[in-house]
Amino acid sequence: MATITLTVDGSEHTIDADAAMPLLYALRDDLGLNNPRFGCGLAQCGACTVLIDGQPIRSCVTPVGAAQGAITTLQGLATDGEPHPVQQAFIDEQAAFCGYCINGWILYAVELLERNDNPSDAELRQAFAGLKCRCGAHSAILRAVKRAAGDIRSRRA
Amino acid sequence: MAIFDTDGSIDSALLATIGTAVPRKEDARLLTGRGEFTDDFAAADQLHASFVRSPYPHAVIRNIATEAALAMPGVVAVFTGADCRRDGVGAVPHNPVPSTRADLKLTASDGGPIFEGPQVPLPEDKVRHVGEAVAMVVAESLTQAVDAAEAVDVDFEPLAAVTESTEAAKPAAPVVWEEVADNVCCDTTFGDVAATDAAFARAAHVFAMEFHVSRVAGTPLEPRAALAEYDRETGRYTLYAGSNGAVRHKQQIAAALRIDPEALRIICRDVGGNFGTKNRVYIEFPLVLWAARRLGRPVKYRATRSESFLSDVQGRDLVTRVEIALAEDGRFLAYRADNISNVGARVISLSPLGKGIGLVTGSYAFEAATARARAAFTNTVPTQAYRSSGRPEVIHALERLIDTAAHELGLDPIELRRRNLIPAAAMPCENPLGLTYDSGEYEANMDKALELADWAGFPQRREEASGRGRRRGIGFANYVESSIGAPGERVTLRILAGGTVEAVAGTQPTGQGQETTFAQVVADLLGIHPESVNVILSDTDIVRRGGGSHSGRSMRHAGTAFCLAADELIERGRRIAAVVLDTDADRVGFASGCFEHEGDSIDWFELAGRAAQVALPDELEHGLYVARDNEMHTPVFPNGCAVCEVEVDPETGFTKICRYVAVDDVGRVINPQIVDGQTHGSITQGVGQALWERCVVDPDSGQPLTGSLMDYPIPRADELPTFITAVNEVLSPTNPLGVKSAGEGPTTPALAVVVNAIVNALRDLGVDDIQIPATPYRVWRAIQDAAAAEERSR
Repeated sequence: MATITLTVDGSEHTIDADAAMPLLYALRDDLGLNNPRFGCGLAQCGACTVLIDGQPIRSCVTPVGAAQGAITTLQGLATDGEPHPVQQAFIDEQAAFCGYCINGWILYAVELLERNDNPSDAELRQAFAGLKCRCGAHSAILRAVKRAAGDIRSRRA
Repeated sequence: MAIFDTDGSIDSALLATIGTAVPRKEDARLLTGRGEFTDDFAAADQLHASFVRSPYPHAVIRNIATEAALAMPGVVAVFTGADCRRDGVGAVPHNPVPSTRADLKLTASDGGPIFEGPQVPLPEDKVRHVGEAVAMVVAESLTQAVDAAEAVDVDFEPLAAVTESTEAAKPAAPVVWEEVADNVCCDTTFGDVAATDAAFARAAHVFAMEFHVSRVAGTPLEPRAALAEYDRETGRYTLYAGSNGAVRHKQQIAAALRIDPEALRIICRDVGGNFGTKNRVYIEFPLVLWAARRLGRPVKYRATRSESFLSDVQGRDLVTRVEIALAEDGRFLAYRADNISNVGARVISLSPLGKGIGLVTGSYAFEAATARARAAFTNTVPTQAYRSSGRPEVIHALERLIDTAAHELGLDPIELRRRNLIPAAAMPCENPLGLTYDSGEYEANMDKALELADWAGFPQRREEASGRGRRRGIGFANYVESSIGAPGERVTLRILAGGTVEAVAGTQPTGQGQETTFAQVVADLLGIHPESVNVILSDTDIVRRGGGSHSGRSMRHAGTAFCLAADELIERGRRIAAVVLDTDADRVGFASGCFEHEGDSIDWFELAGRAAQVALPDELEHGLYVARDNEMHTPVFPNGCAVCEVEVDPETGFTKICRYVAVDDVGRVINPQIVDGQTHGSITQGVGQALWERCVVDPDSGQPLTGSLMDYPIPRADELPTFITAVNEVLSPTNPLGVKSAGEGPTTPALAVVVNAIVNALRDLGVDDIQIPATPYRVWRAIQDAAAAEERSR
């Protein structure tokens, strides 16, 4: 067991845990943050995604001891209760159906739009190739990310 | 103003939000990380359950040694089937045979009842599929439970196994249940055999094909999970578990535990996908409840992904041989289908077999047809409804066979279909298996799809692709499907003075947005805004009755009950307003959400507030509250068609979908954006099965080989085009809203239309058929085999 400090959504938390334990369990079981979700435990779906220093990672295979940096969860994206532009675009386009996998899509989109606020269709599809959505919301998600890109561009303009 | 027109349909003047893309009420919660899925519930002192599962497809259980596991750190208990038996925990009653008045009656071969193969929670004698649980370990932590499960020593004596239905039905096959020596637990023939034989005898042309519509895994991304609590003081159990409707689960779990259903409360908030996989009661549910009582602490369970692949019920797995008889002019005369469903180790559901068998003739007019429905036990995990239960299987066979007939006869496949479609004027129309299609404009669907797909421009696109070394093909498929489902539904409506309407129904959304669409319906019926409607679902202490969400029944059943309840509530409101305004009820008018009398106007919420301050007569004592039960047996038949255009790389067999058009008649559209989303999802799952998905079981060892999302490819964003979708809204005359069903229809033609397109692309190379999934290897193999056959025939 080790004493591990995690910075999650702007708050510091100290837990006692085996450093090899997946970050997902620390977030869910120790911190009670439910929105990173268990989908496969093998980094094959993306439901457990969080950002560490802005980079999307699969928390189900990331050892908690290696989770250094600022962790942002889906819940932490919102500021002062206002949804992030990507979250708002997903709401406007009804891009979630059951909503279970949505961490991955939104957080990968946030990272992508940081790098490239005008992605092409092909770039979008490629960026999301490692994520799974069984409801088949793919088209609505692509629409939502394009909408968010437009919103972000117009804010920057 | 009355809610209903004279024909019993909703007064169209009431439609305010119905038909508009009202934003989903669910989304703010789900998209900001505040969803509540089963695994999100935790109890302070909870224990964790892990299951010991059979590594053999078929084996006698000689002994289960639990001592070593019990001695491990944190282990609280290890339970086996013997413990269950001593405590009276019995089989889960699955009620697997479809039994509404509209369902075809499946029987055993002697016409008697079907032997189901009881599902006791933990078997003592024998295991019948890989992944069947034989013991439950409960420990302080999940890892301790998992470690200890590996230490449970089960002495299995392996038996010969059979995994394919056609093998199981052969003489001398291994026997899964001694009660059914030939493994065939269901064998029923429908239709007019003599008339069908006669039509075949005089036919100018007869064609036959055989298909294995492969086994697929529903794969909701939220694995099955449960949290069980038992309160010694009250003797009540509480189960947090996702499903398609908690009411039936309550009844069936209570039956397995042999407890009064009222002693069990089931709570189900957000559910992370279902597609049929979570419809049925899993043995883990009664087991964790029982363990919670035995151990005096809450017990939690969540399946791993590989456990899901091993022990979630699966879909499809139908072998079908079909024959079509045509007259000289291409008119369809008769059709025969011989279907055999692989039900797995026990009968959990005969919905796929039963629903399919009534629809083998699809959208076409035939003089006669027969369909034989068989189900065979095998040593595989049981099968169950999967999105559009049973319908894609039979439509695949029919629409593939029509393409083959058109090719062999040198006819245009579109013209051959057009010539034989059931015309709109013939509706309602009884098909040769006895189902009566309620309504539909099949030819209009076709025309719309052909136009959207630019069917006429295809030859040019084919030529252009050919210049790039790609083989481009185009396919078409019609479909009709049935929406039946549990006939009973109950809703309640209650007006709260604070400005909210509570609407309760016994359905369970798993991504379909019912909190929004039900709110739209209730809002329009009552003349208020959807934001004022709070939809409450699936807490069995609130929801007392309801059929759940399956078979496209939710909006049709709940919507109908809401119409009836709203009518009653308005009448009740009028009488309460009369008391409040000191007049007679027949002098109180109602329009646009307000009760009116001589210039006074009171809205619902003000009326609720004022009603609380006056003495109401006894018959109105519950105020603005109505509970309404409704039973509806009449099925509806969503329908439509699809066009698919593919490009195949003949060097690799890789198939790319370039264009996909779907036209669907879902009846009345409540929320077009939600319907569009459901359409996309529905197509995606159909395309997934057509091109990639298959649960592979090694026939020699009986071992499932698809155990993770690496082995089982569900469709990804980079593999799919954006689908072109349209609805042809033909209102169903069977219910006041005119609803059919959205969400399952577009899966139905997807298998056939994709394969029709691929075969069209490769026909010149001598390829006549490809079994699904048409993976790159299978496509490449088909090209090579056709070339080799060509070579031999020279």
